[in-house]
Amino acid sequence: MNLRGLRRELDKLTVVQLLIALFILIFFLVTPIASLLVRAFVSDEGFTLKYFESTYTDPNMISPNPSLTVIQILERYKFTILPNGTRVLVPLKTIYIGGVGPDFGYILNSIFVSASVMILASIIGLIAAFIMARYEFPGKNIFRVLLIIPLLATPFVNAYVIGKVLGPGGLLNYILKNVLKITDYTIVIVGLPAVILVQTLSFFPIVYMNTLSSLINIDPSLEEQAENMGAHGFKLFRTVTLPLALPGLAAGATLVFIFSMEDLGAPIGLSGAFGDGLHTHLMSFYIYDEFRKVLSLEQVHASVYALAVTMLLIASVAFLMIKKYVSLKQYAMLSKGGRWSPRVRRPGKKGLAAIYVFLILLVIISSFPQIGVIILATTDWATSGIVPTKITLEHLASLVTKSDVTRAITNSLTYAGVAVIIIVLTGTSAAYIVARRRIPGKDLLDTLATIPIAIPGIIVAVGYIVFFTLLAKTLYGTPLESLGYMFDPFVNPGLLLMFSYSVRRLPFTARAVFAGLQQTHVSLEEAAENLGASRAKTFFTIVMPLIAANIISGAILSFVYSMSEVSTSVILGSRNPSQGPITFLMSQVIYASAAVGTVSIAAALGVLLMTLQIIAISVSNYILKQRVAFLGV
Amino acid sequence: MVNVRLEKVTKRFGEVIAADRITLTIKHGEFFTFLGPSGCGKTTTLRIIAGLEYPDEGKLYFDDKDVTDEPPYKRNTGMVFQNYALWPHMTVFDNIAYGLKIRKIPKEEIRRKVLEVLDLVKLRGLENRYPTQLSGGQQQRVALARALVIEPAVLLLDEPLSNLDAKLRIEMREEIKRIQKKLGITTIYVTHDQEEAMVISDRIAVMNRGKIMQVDEPKELYRRPKNLFVASFLGRCTILKGIVKEIEENLVTLTVGNMVLKGIIPSRDIKLREGDKAVIVLRPQDFEIEETRKNVNRIEGVVEWISFVGPYSELRVKSNGLKILVNVDPDFQVKIGDKIAAYISYDRTIVFPLGEAEAAYKEEIKV
Repeated sequence: MNLRGLRRELDKLTVVQLLIALFILIFFLVTPIASLLVRAFVSDEGFTLKYFESTYTDPNMISPNPSLTVIQILERYKFTILPNGTRVLVPLKTIYIGGVGPDFGYILNSIFVSASVMILASIIGLIAAFIMARYEFPGKNIFRVLLIIPLLATPFVNAYVIGKVLGPGGLLNYILKNVLKITDYTIVIVGLPAVILVQTLSFFPIVYMNTLSSLINIDPSLEEQAENMGAHGFKLFRTVTLPLALPGLAAGATLVFIFSMEDLGAPIGLSGAFGDGLHTHLMSFYIYDEFRKVLSLEQVHASVYALAVTMLLIASVAFLMIKKYVSLKQYAMLSKGGRWSPRVRRPGKKGLAAIYVFLILLVIISSFPQIGVIILATTDWATSGIVPTKITLEHLASLVTKSDVTRAITNSLTYAGVAVIIIVLTGTSAAYIVARRRIPGKDLLDTLATIPIAIPGIIVAVGYIVFFTLLAKTLYGTPLESLGYMFDPFVNPGLLLMFSYSVRRLPFTARAVFAGLQQTHVSLEEAAENLGASRAKTFFTIVMPLIAANIISGAILSFVYSMSEVSTSVILGSRNPSQGPITFLMSQVIYASAAVGTVSIAAALGVLLMTLQIIAISVSNYILKQRVAFLGV
Repeated sequence: MVNVRLEKVTKRFGEVIAADRITLTIKHGEFFTFLGPSGCGKTTTLRIIAGLEYPDEGKLYFDDKDVTDEPPYKRNTGMVFQNYALWPHMTVFDNIAYGLKIRKIPKEEIRRKVLEVLDLVKLRGLENRYPTQLSGGQQQRVALARALVIEPAVLLLDEPLSNLDAKLRIEMREEIKRIQKKLGITTIYVTHDQEEAMVISDRIAVMNRGKIMQVDEPKELYRRPKNLFVASFLGRCTILKGIVKEIEENLVTLTVGNMVLKGIIPSRDIKLREGDKAVIVLRPQDFEIEETRKNVNRIEGVVEWISFVGPYSELRVKSNGLKILVNVDPDFQVKIGDKIAAYISYDRTIVFPLGEAEAAYKEEIKV
C-alpha cells in the first residue's frame, strides 16, 4: 500500500467514519483499560510487580490450604440467622453443600467456577443443540422458544429465586420432605456450587445457540459422504459432526467462561437469599465490593487493580486461544453457496422418550428462575414463605408509582437510548471500513470493535473510574473544569454509563452491520461510483438502504442488552445512586441496602427487562427474517 | 467519444501480477475486447480503466488527459457488471435515472432520457418493476441502459453475458453490437469466450498471466497467431514437437517423429533457423480426408477414439506414437481401429519456435 493509494482510500466519508470509530474506541475502551494497567504495574518507584506479588501471596486470594469439603452432613440442632435477621433452629439433619468448601481463595475460586460452568454448560448446550438440529419431533418449535428463556436477563433476581427455592425453608425441601417424603434431610446448596448452578442454568443457551447455528450450517453432503463410507451413530458424530460443529461450540464455551468470571448477578443474588457466604468469594465480587466501599480513588488499594488485571488476563487468554483455534477450524464452510435443508430425522420410540425427558427436565429447571421472577413480581411470594398466597399488582404498579424506581427506569432508558445512537454511528462506521476499505491496521479496528464482548465489564468499570477520575482532576482548575465535572465518575457516573454501554454493546451492531455488508455485493457500490456518485453519496443512497435492516436489528439488540447491563451499572452506579440505572437499583434491593421496598420490586423490574427483551428479539428476528445466534464470537 | 490509452499499466495482488506492463490504445468508437482464461487479468484491466482499481505503475489516458489517479466517479465511464449490480431497493426507472440525478439533470429531461434508453434496450413498460421481478435477460438490459443513459465516454462491459443461457447469450451479443454501432460509442468488453469475442469485436487483445499476447482483428488472430498461446487458445488444436530441417522463404520443413511435415511461420517477427526445436499447431477442422489439392501434409494413422459432436465427428488418430485430432463429416463411415489418412495444407500447418515462453504454457494448453 503506497502513500498515493492511502490518500485515495481516505476520502471525506472514510475519514469521518474512521475518526468516529477511533475516538469512541480509544477514548472509552483502550485508554481506560491502559490506565488500569498502568495503575497495576506502576508505583512511585516505576515499574513494579509488587501489587501482583502481594495479591498472589495473600492467602485469601490463593489459599495455601484450600478447603475441599463439599458436603457436610449436620446431625444436630443449630441456631442460624436468616437474612431477615431472625434466629431459627436449623432442623435435625442437614446436607449442607458448599457451606465450608470448596474454597481455594478468590482467584482460584473464580477460575474453578468459570471452568465448571463452561464444562457443564457445554455438555448441556451440545446435547440440546444436537437434538434440535438433527431430530424432528412433535412440539419442537415450542422447545425452540422455551430453550432460550434462560437468556432473558433478570440479573440478581434469578439467583435469588434459585436460592429461595433451594434454601432450607424453600420449595424443594418442602416437596422432598413433606410431600414426597423421600428424605428427612434438609438439603442446602450455597457457596460455589450454588454459583455454578445459577450460572450454568443461565448461560447454557449461549453454547446451545452457537452450536446449533454451527450444526445447521454443516453441509449435509459431508455427513452423507461419511455415512456412504460406512460411518454411523456415535462414530459419525465423533469423527465428522462434532469436529465441524466445534467452532460454534468453542465460541459459545469461551463466552460462557468469560461471562461466568465477570458475573455479579449470582453472588449478589445468592447473598440476597442466604446472606454472605462462600458464593461471594469470587474475584468479581471482591472488586465490586472494594469499589462499593470507597469514597475516592485514593482509597482503592493497588492490589485491586492487580486483581482486575488478572481477570482481564485470564479472559484475554481464553479469547485469543479460541480466536486462533476457531479460525484454524473454519473449514466447516468449504462448500459455500446453495441453501440446503439440514439433515433431520425422526427418532424411534425410545429415542423420542429420551429426547422428551431431557428437554422437559431441562426446560423446567432452566426456566424456573424466570418463572419465579414473574411469580415474585405478581404475588406476595417474597414474604409468604414456601408458596405464594395471593396475586397482587402492587409490585408492578411500583414501576410507575415509586419515585426511585421510575427514576432508575428513566435513567436506564436515557443511557441506553444515547448509547444506541453512539453504537449505530460507531458500529456502522467501523464495520463499513473493515468490510470495504483498504487501510493498513484495519484488522486492529475490527478487533477493537469485536473484543468488548470478551472484556469483563468489571474491567471496563474499574478502568473508567481510574481514567476519568484522573482526567477530571487534571481538568479541575482549568478553563475546561466543567468538562472534567461532566466526566468525574464520583459525581456524574451517568454520562460514563452511556459510553460504557456504547462500548460494551457495540459488537452486536458492528457484527450485524458487517454481516449485512458481507451479504451485499460490493459491485452495487461500484456501480454507483461508476455512474458518478461520490463515496459519501454512494454510502447514503446505496449502502444505508441496503443494510438498514441489519442496522436496526443490531441496534435493538444493543439497546436491550444495554438496559440489562450489570457490571458497569452497579460499580459506576454506586458512585451516585441518583444516577443509577435499573440493574443498579435491582442489586441494591436484592442486597437489602436500598431505601425502597422488597425483592418484589426488583422482580417487577426483572419482568420489565424480560418484556423488553422478548419484544426486541421478536422484532429483530422479524426484520432479519431469520433466526440469528444473537450471542457469539 | 474518446480514445483510451494504457501505458505500461501494472497491477499486483500480492505475488500475482494481474496486469503486466500493458500498453495499448483503444480507438474512438471501437469495439475492443480483452479475451483470456480466468485469472489472466482482463477484468482487472477493465476495472483499472473504470477507476475501481488503481495501477501500481503506469499511466492511463482518456484522449490526452491523464486519468490514472481520477476516482471512478469523475471518469464518466458506463460499466455493466458481470452480476449486473442492479440496486434491489430501486425500481428499474430509479436504477436507470440514478446517474442522471447525480448529474443534477432536470426531472423532465431525466424522464425523457430514461424512456428513450428503455426504448433502445426494448424494455419500455417495465420502468416500475423492481430488479427481482425481471428475468436474467431483462436485468442485463437494465444494466446496459443504466450505463448508456449517462452518455458515457467509454462503455465498459465485464463478462456481461456469462450469467445468461446459451440461446439468450447469442441474442444479447447481437443486441449489444447493434446498440454500440448505433451510438458509435467506444466500448471495452471482457470475456473468456473466444467465439463471443470473435463475433462481437472490432479488435481483440488476448491476455495471459497479466500480459497482452496479441492485439488484432478477429480473423488475423485466428489465421495469424503471433504465438503458441494465442494459437492454442482460439479453438481446439493438436500441438506436435519437431525439429526444423529446412527453411525456404516462409515455408518450413520439419521432422516430427519419423514424419516430415511442411508448414508456415505466421509472423515475420518469429525467427527460426535450421536445427531449431519447434512446435506445429494443427486445427482439427483444417484436415481433409481426401487429397483434393496440392501442397498438403499427409498424416496416416489408426483411429483410436471417435467423438460424435453433432455438426462433425472428432477423431483421435494415432500416428507413430503421436495423437492428432481430426474433424470429419458426421456421416463419414469409420470405426475405432480403422486405418486412415488425413491431409492438411501447408498454410494451415502453423510453426512456432519451442521457446522457453512456450514451454511455460505447455500444461495450460494440453499438449
